[in-house]
Amino acid sequence: MDFNSWLPLLIVLSSLIPGLLIFTLAEHRTLLRTCLNLSGVVIKLLLVVWMWLGVKAGEDYFFQLPFLPGGPFILHGDALSLQFVMLSSVLWLATTVYAIGYLENSPLRSRFFGYFSLCVSATVGLALSGNLVTFVLFYELLTLATFPLVVHRGTPQSLRAGRRYLAYTISGGVLLLMGAALLHSVAGSPVFMPGGYLSAQLDTQSMALIVAFVLLIAGLGVKAALLPLHGWLPEAMVAPAPVSALLHAVAVVKAGAFGIVRVVYDVFGVEVMQQLDLTWPLVVLASSTILYGSWRALQQQDIKRRLAYSTVSQVSYVTLGVAMLGPVAAIGGLVHLVHQGVMKITLFFCAGNYAETLGIHKVHELNGVGRRMPLSSVAFSLGALGMIGIPPTAGMVSKWYLSMGALEAGFPWVLGVLLMSSALNAAYFLPLLYRIWCLPAAEWPEERRLSDRFETHWMLLLPPVLTGALIVLMGVLAGTDISPLSWTELIVEREFGYVE
Amino acid sequence: MNYALAAVLLPLLAALLALGWRRYAAWVSWGGTILSLLCAIVALQQVLSDGPQQMLLGNWPTGLAIRWQLSELTALLLLLTTVIHSLVASYSLTSLRRLQVAADFWPLSSLLQMSLSALWLSTDLFNWYVTLELLGLVAVAMVTLSGNKSVAAALRYLLLSLAGSLCYLLGVALLYGQFGVLDVAELATRMPASESHMTTFALVLMTAGLMLKGALWPLHLWLPAAHAVAPAPVSALLSALVVKGPLFILWMLWSQLATVELSHAAAGFFLFAGSMALLTGGWSALRTPYAKVMVAYSTVAQLGYALLAIGLALRSADPAFQLALWLFIIAHALAKTSAFLAVGEMQHSLGGKRVQMLKGASQTMPVAMFALAVAGGSLIGLPPSGGFLAKWQLLLPLWPEWQLWLWLLVIFLGTLLSAAYVFRLVVLAFDRADPVKPDFAPQLLPQWLALVPALLVWGLAFGSHSFVHWLGG
Repeated sequence: MDFNSWLPLLIVLSSLIPGLLIFTLAEHRTLLRTCLNLSGVVIKLLLVVWMWLGVKAGEDYFFQLPFLPGGPFILHGDALSLQFVMLSSVLWLATTVYAIGYLENSPLRSRFFGYFSLCVSATVGLALSGNLVTFVLFYELLTLATFPLVVHRGTPQSLRAGRRYLAYTISGGVLLLMGAALLHSVAGSPVFMPGGYLSAQLDTQSMALIVAFVLLIAGLGVKAALLPLHGWLPEAMVAPAPVSALLHAVAVVKAGAFGIVRVVYDVFGVEVMQQLDLTWPLVVLASSTILYGSWRALQQQDIKRRLAYSTVSQVSYVTLGVAMLGPVAAIGGLVHLVHQGVMKITLFFCAGNYAETLGIHKVHELNGVGRRMPLSSVAFSLGALGMIGIPPTAGMVSKWYLSMGALEAGFPWVLGVLLMSSALNAAYFLPLLYRIWCLPAAEWPEERRLSDRFETHWMLLLPPVLTGALIVLMGVLAGTDISPLSWTELIVEREFGYVE
Repeated sequence: MNYALAAVLLPLLAALLALGWRRYAAWVSWGGTILSLLCAIVALQQVLSDGPQQMLLGNWPTGLAIRWQLSELTALLLLLTTVIHSLVASYSLTSLRRLQVAADFWPLSSLLQMSLSALWLSTDLFNWYVTLELLGLVAVAMVTLSGNKSVAAALRYLLLSLAGSLCYLLGVALLYGQFGVLDVAELATRMPASESHMTTFALVLMTAGLMLKGALWPLHLWLPAAHAVAPAPVSALLSALVVKGPLFILWMLWSQLATVELSHAAAGFFLFAGSMALLTGGWSALRTPYAKVMVAYSTVAQLGYALLAIGLALRSADPAFQLALWLFIIAHALAKTSAFLAVGEMQHSLGGKRVQMLKGASQTMPVAMFALAVAGGSLIGLPPSGGFLAKWQLLLPLWPEWQLWLWLLVIFLGTLLSAAYVFRLVVLAFDRADPVKPDFAPQLLPQWLALVPALLVWGLAFGSHSFVHWLGG
């Protein structure tokens, strides 16, 4: 084996090993812990960039280990997995810096950062999974690694949220396992490939394929927060802000959406999906989740809960784009995987800053906060505008492609869904911006002085400022070679053989 | 074969020495176990290179002699026994001062290992009876090590165990009266051909006896009390190993001695009993307020998987079910060892028997709690643990057959129940609002030793190819 085949494994290990070391550290070894954390982040990022350049040039990265009978453990770096790996590695960097600042001087940091690293390792492993069996393995590990983070505060509310989270995700995991076992017994567990690997079984086993599809989507839908299975996500908001950022933008919700992408394109494939008539139920499910999530977000008075319902809605854009099966819609869905991640993480960072610095948790407490915390508020506004889809932010790009794709794929009514959702997004975000910038300041609930020079601790301020800038850059530079959009076009080109 | 024999006799020697030389009982017994572990490894290697071996005691001709057989399966079970005993013995060494009864523990533990190892190697009905009886008596004696509070549970265990042995012995006597041989291989050539009410009755009697001794549903009610009251290392041995002996004999009887129609009928019963064990055992584990009772009920539930696998393997020719059976036995043994040792360790340091004592254990005793959670992961069947591998083997052949989808549902529900009772504990452990303060400073080494079997079981799936190869899946 040469270096190329070890690279995917190294990318997983680059956060796993620091994570395990961090567990063993005593609580007061702050400096060493920070060094381990950051070195893991930086090494991972360098390796990912290396792989990114390689995949762009047409290299193949393939690691294999015997695992189950007939189902080896495969890590495979292809264009699609790189999209998710890149996203989570970059956002992990931001979240790590943020979390170090956020948890300064709080107890049990070794445990927190240990699981934090395990969580990212599981996510990256999930992104790099080369077949369904490996995917299931990392999907379950992700559940286990995130649970301690959700209950980190150990209060009765967070324990309740943790129970809810486990009830949903473990059930989902078992459904996914059942579906994977069914597919394995029908067709084995070959490497994910564009176009899927089930066309040979289409005529003889169509019933089994439909059952498997339902099981897999139900299992993945829990993490992707599809309509009846979304209940855990708003509950889990009691977790600390960096964990919310991780759940919503880097790891968990994205893992579900990414799994749906894999199942639709690389397990079943466009042709089988169309033959089995599985397209429209998924489109309808995603559309109703989009509208329902936005509608519920409108009713929330807690900032983080409003953001959580907004995630329920926005992540389903990914499912929607993928489910419509057209290449343009696919670009919209896949690019939104990245765009939503960056926008939502910015919003959560800022919400965390408001809560940490001024004790603001409710919408009505935001009045005039723009003058007290201008940088955070600018970043928050960029995120909100991006979510609505206003140019020149990244959100506009994904909505544009989704709309074009809906027309191309023959779902004109989806346009209505998108319009309505944008209107609802505006309805629940614009009042916040109005309060932040236009209303006079009131008393803050609980002000803390975290820094003499900046509006808040610099480690809390830097990440949202950078990701906020990224939101605009991804929109403005969408046409260039380094944008997520151009990478998504590369993916779609390889998945569909399609050139724009 | 000599090495396998040594793996059986070394613990016997250690037990005798430990009895006579009580001051060094711990070291003698521990040493015997470790040596037998080495022997078991060599024995497995020999079987893998040279194929199955057998030995006729006293060099009597076949048919008269007591035959001992070492196949891939028995070598693996022998290895499992020595591994678990070594781990438990190492754990007991580190927590020696806390066990007031330590000097009695060591010879009994060695005797237990000897009788179980002999059970795996035996191939005739009467030898099985002897080893089973010995196993039961030693197990009862070990339960009483916790002192007065354990007398009621131990006495019930003793009476039921004796009743089970009697049932089994009666069945053996009936078969011997009819065929004049006891060796299973001999019986297998004669019995299915001359099936009568008498042989069926004998099989049913033996099954009832074995199910009673193996705590298989619906004859499991003695188990939670006995396993929960015993000291932690004893509970680990009882749950991980002792209940597996009768299960092994049960499978040997039905797979070799019964006619096809009869074994199909029995399979229906085993499937039903297995499902009930999974569901009721899981439910009881979820509802009980005591931590150790919960782990004990989880044994009842997990034995349900083994019964399901036996039932399915009797009905279908697919070797995957047999593989699933042995994998369940191995995975459960390792996971349960870890679970009992971890719970025992936490019970000692945190004080109290209730589940609530685990509040905040993730902060106060992180390693032990991690061991319990990791072992629980294997009991649920999360990848890449051994429990997952076993469940995967069980699931795969079920999917293609529509008629078998009912069992999929049972496995699904059983998995959810096990997740519920495991995570009930885990969630409590993360409590920071109202944690339980330890009564004694937690010791680190025993916690790590409790974690070892759990880590072993989590690596099991990556060795699946060897298991498939060895057990002929």
